[in-house]
Amino acid sequence: MNVLVLNFSGAEPVTLFADERLENLRRLMDMGCFGELNSSGEWNVLARQENHTLTLMEYFQQADKLCVDTSDPVTLREKLSVGDWDYLQYSAASFPAENWSADDYLRLDNDLGEALQELDDDTAITVLGKNCFVLVSAINPISGEHKGGSTSDIAPTLAQLAGYPLPSATEGKSWVDGMELNNTSGLTADEQEILRDRLSGLGYV
Amino acid sequence: MKKVIAIGLDGFEPKIVEAMIARGELPNLQRLQEQGGYSRLGTTHSAQTPVAWSTFSTGTNPGGHGIFDFLTRDPNTYLPVMALSRYEQKNSFVLPKVVNMRRGTTFWDLLSEKEVQSTILRVPCAYPPDQVKGRMLSGVGVPDLRGGFGTPTFYSSRTDIHADQAEKVVSVSLNKDMSATHVIGPRDPKTKSDHKFDINIQIVRSENKIVVTSQGQPDRLEVHLGKWSKWLKVKFKVGMMQTVSGIVRFNLRQLEPDFELYASPVNFETEEPLFAISHPKEYAHELAMKIGRYYTAGMAEDHDGLNLNRFDEGAYLDQCRFVMRERRRMMEYELGRFESGYFFCLFDTPDRLAHMFWRFREPEHPSNKLHGYNPEFANVIEEHYLECDAVVGEAMKFADNETLFIVLSDHGMNSFQRGLNLNTWLYENGFLALKPGSKPGDGGDFFENVDWDKTKAYAMGLGCVFLNIKGREANGILSDDEAEATRAGVVSGLTGLVDTDRSAVAVRSVVRREQVYSGPFLSEAPDLLVNFSEGYRVSWDTPLGGVPQGLFRDNHKRWSGDHVIDPALSTGVLFMNQKFRTVSPRLADLAPTILNSFGVPKGADMEGSDLLS
Repeated sequence: MNVLVLNFSGAEPVTLFADERLENLRRLMDMGCFGELNSSGEWNVLARQENHTLTLMEYFQQADKLCVDTSDPVTLREKLSVGDWDYLQYSAASFPAENWSADDYLRLDNDLGEALQELDDDTAITVLGKNCFVLVSAINPISGEHKGGSTSDIAPTLAQLAGYPLPSATEGKSWVDGMELNNTSGLTADEQEILRDRLSGLGYV
Repeated sequence: MKKVIAIGLDGFEPKIVEAMIARGELPNLQRLQEQGGYSRLGTTHSAQTPVAWSTFSTGTNPGGHGIFDFLTRDPNTYLPVMALSRYEQKNSFVLPKVVNMRRGTTFWDLLSEKEVQSTILRVPCAYPPDQVKGRMLSGVGVPDLRGGFGTPTFYSSRTDIHADQAEKVVSVSLNKDMSATHVIGPRDPKTKSDHKFDINIQIVRSENKIVVTSQGQPDRLEVHLGKWSKWLKVKFKVGMMQTVSGIVRFNLRQLEPDFELYASPVNFETEEPLFAISHPKEYAHELAMKIGRYYTAGMAEDHDGLNLNRFDEGAYLDQCRFVMRERRRMMEYELGRFESGYFFCLFDTPDRLAHMFWRFREPEHPSNKLHGYNPEFANVIEEHYLECDAVVGEAMKFADNETLFIVLSDHGMNSFQRGLNLNTWLYENGFLALKPGSKPGDGGDFFENVDWDKTKAYAMGLGCVFLNIKGREANGILSDDEAEATRAGVVSGLTGLVDTDRSAVAVRSVVRREQVYSGPFLSEAPDLLVNFSEGYRVSWDTPLGGVPQGLFRDNHKRWSGDHVIDPALSTGVLFMNQKFRTVSPRLADLAPTILNSFGVPKGADMEGSDLLS
């Protein structure tokens, strides 16, 4: 499972979750879970061990994963299209730190849409705003609005969705800890019924 | 400024037309014939709407555009799939894209390159719409909201009504003449259940009507007994965050003793269609603002509703008239602002109407034994042809001296009295094997009991036979040599096949694909095509891969006319307002003819020739 984190730290949940024009974001919200976060700690910190703060990216690097950290939209586009990464985190520096305009939200959705085009099904996507998140992964068993989460829960949740054991002293709590993850091959619907549906009305069947 | 105006009349049958002209009943077409000329028009293998109109569009045989039938098969699964368009999805995070399977270069592509404008209304197999210079509204190929050709819903207060495969049935319980029910929308791929839109029904017996109230538009809709309602715009919540809207109309069949109501397939709504149905994208809605809401589904006529007896012939005629009327409004609106270039409008109704009313021309038609014969309907097709002639007359008013004016049909129409179970014939003759212990009639559609490890040939679609070839089909067994022997065996065995009950030849010939197709998509074609005699067709169980008992069956459905027979017997019509070569013109000749009248050379792959030179 690859992990993609798109951080738009100036985006307010009030607009992000309510604006019907943000089609790509809304589709993701439907596919996965989303919600506001209690602000405690930093999203990218996985664990605070003696004398060391272990970030999510370091944790993946320790496992020899190809990791990229960028705030440059050109690099992001390049990386997405080539696909030579296991973990990719992007902090959208071209957006204002706060007081977003309506256009900024549309631009976010547009950038998101472009990024989605390039992904494999086997990807966990996280979009972060100001104390809020959207998280999609085929194996994520949580759907709909997820309440009561904290910023520091993001890193352990992503680590587990990516298939890694949690290190000791994680700062937050993984939401999927102890849960049975979805079986990704179970999504194919009853083929015959869909076929009949597609072909009915033809007059020939 | 140069104009070409072409009016398409789907399934307009030359034998009926010629007789009516001889009686002086089609004055506008007769005028065209006298001004320019008339001829029967050669159609495609096979004589079907999507195949034939694609040849009209591209000027190539089906090997050059890739549409051979409404259906094709997936060689990996042997399952039938819709042949006209495909959904492609890069990953599960993005929306699927619709891809048109009609390929090749259309003549309006070439016109666009030369800056000649086109207005093209409802040409089949242009979904998603072609990026033409001008305007295009897609036709046959546009699905309903469920993604199929059209799934209607039948509401009944009876609980013992079961849905046929082409419909949905909702049982309604009435309490003080009121009921809370729903319109069925798209299927949810995750939960496998249907999305629903809530409606409330109130019966007003004193006025023989019902009132449908909902969150839709209008919020209060009246449906009168035996009549069609206006459109109801409905919205489905397809996710917490997403909605999809559509339009539906109702026919109230009866209030007593049982409550029975029919709802049309839910059509795309023009303001926010699920996928673009016009070019430019906004054009479909601009048109709706001018002429009112209209059917957007490729199959606009609700023939399934009549076939399943969910409403009667009278209601179907009314519905066909709606479709015809809205198409006329479209045509007149667009011709009213048409200045130069190419104009096309297709009227599908002559085809859909004749399919359902053919049996009334033939009192002896087997369908009448089951559904009764009503002489009142014996001339319905002719009466409809009068209206088609009036449409032609209306369009001719927009032609000036420099205009090339064309009226054409893609194929004709014939009787469909008997159906051949092609797979059963293949089984009886050793080409198709069933799993040990099963016999014809045991299984259902989709080649249920077929033993692919022993099967050499299988039939699906409207007369297509595929061979089970090693390396091509998932469980293919035939080497090249064996395939050749199988081909020869099927051709010699089926050709001249006699329906012994009627002592009539049912199959005139069987052709190999190489005999009738050439071009880049030849490898997608069925290996063999079966050419039926008049009165015959493949049986109802054949298109989706059924292997029923017995070879021949009477056609007992109300769908009683058809045209998928030997193309030589199923020609269309061609009228032009200029003298043209009337020696065996064919559909592929139209593209070069139209291009040449704008001074644009025909495309490299176009096979026909200019009929005017």
